[in-house]
Amino acid sequence: MTPLLRCGPLSAEDGEGRRLYSGVTVSLDEECLTVLEGPSGGGKSTLLRQIAGLAPSEGVTRELGGCRWGGKALPGWRSEVNLLMQDAPIIPESVLENLKFPYDLKSAGDRVFDSKKAGKLLDEVGLGSIALDRPASTLSGGERHRLAIVRALLWVPAVLLADEPLSGLDGPRASRCFDLLREHARRPGHAVLCVLHDPTMGRGADRRLCLESERLTVL
Amino acid sequence: MTDLIQLTPVDLLVATVLVLAAGVVSLAMRLDIEKRLALSAVRTVVQLGLVGLILERVFALRRPIVVLAILAVMILFAGREASNRSTRAYRGMRWDSLLAMGATCLVVGAVVTQVVVGVQPWYDPQYVIPLLGMILGNSLNGVSLCLERLLEYLSARRHEVELRLVFGATRSEALREPIRAAVRTGMIPVTNIMAAAGIVALPGMMTGQILAGAPPMQAVAYQIVIMFTLAAANAMGSMLIATAAARRLVAADGRLKIEQLR
Repeated sequence: MTPLLRCGPLSAEDGEGRRLYSGVTVSLDEECLTVLEGPSGGGKSTLLRQIAGLAPSEGVTRELGGCRWGGKALPGWRSEVNLLMQDAPIIPESVLENLKFPYDLKSAGDRVFDSKKAGKLLDEVGLGSIALDRPASTLSGGERHRLAIVRALLWVPAVLLADEPLSGLDGPRASRCFDLLREHARRPGHAVLCVLHDPTMGRGADRRLCLESERLTVL
Repeated sequence: MTDLIQLTPVDLLVATVLVLAAGVVSLAMRLDIEKRLALSAVRTVVQLGLVGLILERVFALRRPIVVLAILAVMILFAGREASNRSTRAYRGMRWDSLLAMGATCLVVGAVVTQVVVGVQPWYDPQYVIPLLGMILGNSLNGVSLCLERLLEYLSARRHEVELRLVFGATRSEALREPIRAAVRTGMIPVTNIMAAAGIVALPGMMTGQILAGAPPMQAVAYQIVIMFTLAAANAMGSMLIATAAARRLVAADGRLKIEQLR
């Protein structure tokens, strides 16, 4: 079966010049939640940022659904291969504006902000009681992570690269968010690559990868 | 201009007493700035003295090539100074600030000297050098503030910029807000000066002209021209430096090249 996403070869070093990994190619299958595990500082975030084209990556081939993307087309790639960033950053506006701003970009194309679906997803992650006009800067770390998950799921990217999306969430909420990511991944034409540190939750994934000792291996 | 009071070297010596008084205050209050004050005072005398000597020669020569050479030196120094003032740096910053200062000085300077004032001949040093000097001096402030703000934004609010990028923002979409914030900051000094002109203090050039015996309304007319010129110069300089810097720090494919920022 042809993978939905294929990206590589990827190599990276840390700030001190230590090699993190070399010649790694990431393949993600359709309708599949892949979990990426590995020791801290091993380059998992860098790998996701390289796939998204946010970290330097030379001579890399990026394929989605058999089509190649690169150069000036990378913004289009990012809108389909969406990165859920580790620190769940926000723009200094309201909660609603934080959900809506991507729809003002050219990359939105035919996408329209669905307020009904947004309300439903906010309810599901436990943010249903939050006022939408509240400044997003007043949200806690866990609330920001959940808001980021809702924004990403509303966007419906073909592939979602989630970098520790459950950090700062308590057990039941982390579990519900993980379920939502898995539901997204298992839809036809979609996939999710998720960095997790919780091995128990990781066992609920369809596939597990480990980035350790400069290599990416299937567990 | 016949009733102009001429300043003699003795008058300048008397004025030195004033700066000495400032030094005495520093010593009495242990401000520890007396050495800096003395050095600055000496630099003022030497630098302005040299400028005066050079200008007298240039005014007497009235040769276009000499005027252009002086302008080139002024632009070089202004470009260097604009990049030196920034606490952060990236490769090519000096070229960018030189380009911003040079283009602003030449375009806005050409409009004000050739179209508005209508200097005859076009290179008349008495008009061209002080006018372009004012443009450079003021846009230097705007350009350096704008550059500092942009680099600070891209560094401190990097994740906010990347948040737009991960949803497929193009380079220009991702840079819209940082550039807007930077240009706004670059424009603050000139808008402040324009708003307070004549209320808080008489602007320097107008004061100078009045002291030199020009009719107040004529000094006002010149000052208005200068203010509007400075507004245009600040806007253009800020926009140029912000765009040039932003394009160096964000690749065409939208990647924020933060590693280039030191």
